[in-house]
Amino acid sequence: MTQSTTNTSNSPALRVVGLGKSYGRRAILDSVEFEIGRGERVALMGPSGSGKSTLLNLIAGIDRVDSGEVVIDDQAVSKMDGDALCRLRREKVATVFQFFHLLPTLSVAENIEFPLLLLGLDEATRRERVADLVTEVQLENRVDAFPDQLSGGEMQRAAIARALAPRPSLILADEPTGNLDSVTGDAILDLLEKLSERHGIAMLLVTHSEEATRICGRTLDLHDGRLADRMAAQA
Amino acid sequence: MSETKHHSPHLIAVLWARFTWRHWCRSPRSSLLLAAILALGVAALFSVRLANRAAVSGFQMFSENLTGGSDLVVRSPSGRLPESDLRQLREKLGTLPVGLFPVLETTAALISAKDLKNGGDDISDANADAPLLQLTGVDFVALRNAYYLEPESSKSAVIAPEENAPGQSLGDARLAFIAPALAERLNSDVGDSIQVAINDQIVTIAVGGILSADRSRPQPPENLLLFDLPGLQNLLQRGGELSRVEVRVAEGHDRDRMLEEVTQKVRSLADDRQWLIETPDDRAASSQAMTAAFRLNLTVLSTLALLVGWYLILQALEAAVVRRRQEIAILRSLGVNAAQIRRAWMIEALALGVIGTAFGLLLGWVAAQFTVGNIAKTVSALYYQTTTTAAGWHWGEMFFAATFGIGASLFAGWLPARDAGSTPPVQGLCDGRQDEAQRSVLQRPFTGAGLIFAGALLIQAPPWLNAAGNKIPLAGYLAALFWLVGLSLLASALFRPLACLLTKFRNRPAMVYAGSQLRHPSGRHRLTAAGLVVAIGMAAGMGILVHSFEKTLTGWIGDLLKADLYVAPAGVGSAASQAVLSEATWQTLSRDASVAGIDSIRRYPISFEGRPTILAGSEYARDERSLRMNWREAPDDRDPLALEARGADDRVLAWISESFSIRFDKHRGDQIEVPTPAGPQSLVIDGVYVDYHNESGTLLLNRKFTSRWFGNDQAVNNIAVFLKPEADPDVVRARWSSQYPALVIRTNRRLREEALRVFHQTFAVTHALEAIGIAVAVTGLGLTLASLMVERRRQITTLKQLGMARAQIARATAIESLGLAGVGTVVGLILSIGLGYILIFVVNRQSFGWTLQFHVPLASMAGLALLTLATSIVVGYLVGRSGAHLKAEQQE
Repeated sequence: MTQSTTNTSNSPALRVVGLGKSYGRRAILDSVEFEIGRGERVALMGPSGSGKSTLLNLIAGIDRVDSGEVVIDDQAVSKMDGDALCRLRREKVATVFQFFHLLPTLSVAENIEFPLLLLGLDEATRRERVADLVTEVQLENRVDAFPDQLSGGEMQRAAIARALAPRPSLILADEPTGNLDSVTGDAILDLLEKLSERHGIAMLLVTHSEEATRICGRTLDLHDGRLADRMAAQA
Repeated sequence: MSETKHHSPHLIAVLWARFTWRHWCRSPRSSLLLAAILALGVAALFSVRLANRAAVSGFQMFSENLTGGSDLVVRSPSGRLPESDLRQLREKLGTLPVGLFPVLETTAALISAKDLKNGGDDISDANADAPLLQLTGVDFVALRNAYYLEPESSKSAVIAPEENAPGQSLGDARLAFIAPALAERLNSDVGDSIQVAINDQIVTIAVGGILSADRSRPQPPENLLLFDLPGLQNLLQRGGELSRVEVRVAEGHDRDRMLEEVTQKVRSLADDRQWLIETPDDRAASSQAMTAAFRLNLTVLSTLALLVGWYLILQALEAAVVRRRQEIAILRSLGVNAAQIRRAWMIEALALGVIGTAFGLLLGWVAAQFTVGNIAKTVSALYYQTTTTAAGWHWGEMFFAATFGIGASLFAGWLPARDAGSTPPVQGLCDGRQDEAQRSVLQRPFTGAGLIFAGALLIQAPPWLNAAGNKIPLAGYLAALFWLVGLSLLASALFRPLACLLTKFRNRPAMVYAGSQLRHPSGRHRLTAAGLVVAIGMAAGMGILVHSFEKTLTGWIGDLLKADLYVAPAGVGSAASQAVLSEATWQTLSRDASVAGIDSIRRYPISFEGRPTILAGSEYARDERSLRMNWREAPDDRDPLALEARGADDRVLAWISESFSIRFDKHRGDQIEVPTPAGPQSLVIDGVYVDYHNESGTLLLNRKFTSRWFGNDQAVNNIAVFLKPEADPDVVRARWSSQYPALVIRTNRRLREEALRVFHQTFAVTHALEAIGIAVAVTGLGLTLASLMVERRRQITTLKQLGMARAQIARATAIESLGLAGVGTVVGLILSIGLGYILIFVVNRQSFGWTLQFHVPLASMAGLALLTLATSIVVGYLVGRSGAHLKAEQQE
């Protein structure tokens, strides 16, 4: 297993081409197309049921596309087998969730370390990277705490650190501030922006909040499974 | 408030129909599995109890059926009643309207014509297990006259006046009536003949009639041969001897007063004559008491499956509470109060209990038909003859098993119901958290330690003496329960060190994840481990008992069986056999040119202090290989020939078996009196020896004394033959087998094999029950893991998002499963040592009066542990693989 490195080519971090997905007769996504450049942050907005979660699942390789293609770092996700999809999620795509989804039985440090274990990194490298990340997310004093001992903001910071740990090329952030108060939410957005810039990681931020789009260069609107692009003011 | 109360029943119905029932419909497989597990537990309990009851009820005094039910039975404590006593009884009762029915009973072995034709070794082998027949002699004339006692109900008797005792059958020694079932089995009809071995002779008996198969009359036992009394006395050469006299008071308006007067008169005579007076109820109670310990042991063991099933229901209902926490919270927020939530959950537990119990009762009845034969064989081999082949439905047993099954389900539902009711709505409505209620009772190691200490104290307590005078080791069973629960509670303490061990493998994500789950064990983890502790502990504990028993028995047989050949009459395999070798036969054998010497023994069933026991007279060869005994209380002179002498005050010396010593609390130096036909005899106990022949105990004397007291009886039950060095046992056996077709002649090796075969047959049901217990426990493990996977579906999604492969998730689940099984197995094995100790040194000793050596079956325990662990890995992996496909939003 090789350590993930940031791809410096000119190809986009994520390319979605003619993506379609249905459950039974109900079309969830219809010909969705967009790209996210390297280090670019893009917001995805849309009402409930518009297909946002399905889109994220297809990009992360959790669900299979019916038509079209998802290309991450020049690799077509639909052509990947189970092992390749696992590798994709370990190395290229990380997810930050609304409800944090920290593993409740692991401490903060263990949660951050876990993706590195899956990458097969040696212990010294893992320790070093975990130490750097807890400093970056300002959880130095909470490394041994378990999720149920953390506040919402702390949990989300730990989740962001875990997402950054394998140094992915793309972070999928699913309502990362949806479960936080506004002050904490602002702090989390600032952290995401800072770390995304520092590590050159592209980000697709799913949100209901116009405020959250401030850290993104543009916003995609998803309505009834179809996409409309609009420019957003830079934060 | 009053409105809430008013609507409560309706609301509970709505909760049942719209929530519980719909949950069941959404996941019918898990609901059915749960009901099936309970059904298995109930079935195990019900089948064993039904089969027990059937095997025990097969024992009855058939002659009671002949007379339509006797009111009193007169017996002699020595087992032999002189016919002259009948006349005294008649004189004492004078003109009272009472029927007296003298009865003589013995046993014979049914010899198959095919085996008889083959002869030689074949007939000798077949004789050992030859079906035992019950030979009953009743006075046909008295029986015919009896109908004046109950003129309106002649149908109550087996033989109706118009068909009974044809004139030519009176006094005929070779003519017998047989039961319809036997006639069908032998394809015999009136006038046909059948071959039976009576004592050491083959006798041909003509079928004089087939007893009535009319369902309105009591059914005769399948193995009955009914003779006219004088005929059987002639056949057995026991003229003037009876087994008992049955007394029946005539029907009439003043019957109760008459019965009281008759009882008083009979008892007054009994005091002079040393008779035993019993009612039919006494006899039934006596047969029940004989097998009480045996049946109790089986019942306790059969509750194992139910106990593990109880754990599973508790686990499953608790899992359902966790899964439906959000729903409960929403209901609470809508105004459903805690008591109503609790009630709804208890109704769910009740419904599960009713469905599982109903299936279990049917399954148990079917299983009983298969187990009854095995139990009946054991009862016949160890206690008395029973011919039961089918177990009938019994409402009392059904009520017992149903109460246990539904009770277990309700008890298992109580904790989750309490949880459901006490869950704060806010906790359930918080979508991001799935905190599980912790089973506080399972997190009390001090309670566990306290129970173990209390169990240790209980071991010291004496047995409980029931009304029949049997010692029941209640404190021992309670101590076992305390240790079982105590160690189950302590098992949780092993999770943390195990988790630390797993997390040492820091480079293996599956190990780290599985270790983290065990580091924070949920209530379900603790319950599953506790279930495994119970199952493994009880199965391995029984294994220790059986192994210790087998090792002890093997050693004892090795010490006991030194002779070259063992000779006994056919049917020797049954404890009920009364057959003997005549003096002529055993003397002829002893004078054979190949024979160096013989040991002989004659056993007489007697009543001592109101309970049955054995008085045995033995005689030993002056051979260095002759009897060597192991002692609990050794006499000064251990040579069996010492029994020929008399002790202090000219009392006869007796050695008693350990079970006699424990049963009657008699020890070396004690003086006792035993009943014999020659009147009570004084004995002094000179030693207590180890013996596993029977649990009713044996008084062993020199045969010259018993022979004198029992009418110069020179017959013996069996002989052990020491051959001269140049003689080949197989050759001698073959020669004797063809000369004596009614005998069982076994070599030393053959007899040892036979003893172990009977032993293994006795414990066959035990092994089946153990297997059910383990199967239910492993099913529980799978059920737990499956529900944990459902609960963790969000975690699983996260793991997959992080890049964990399905195979890794499956491996992590397999490791977690192995950890759970490991904790259950380790603590279960520790428990088994404790339970083995209690079973051997408390329960077995108090129930049967046998002291066994403690042996741990290391190989089979290691096998059990490996099998459990291997199964847990497979189950864990399969559940993990299937769980890895669960989607976050998928329910159940």
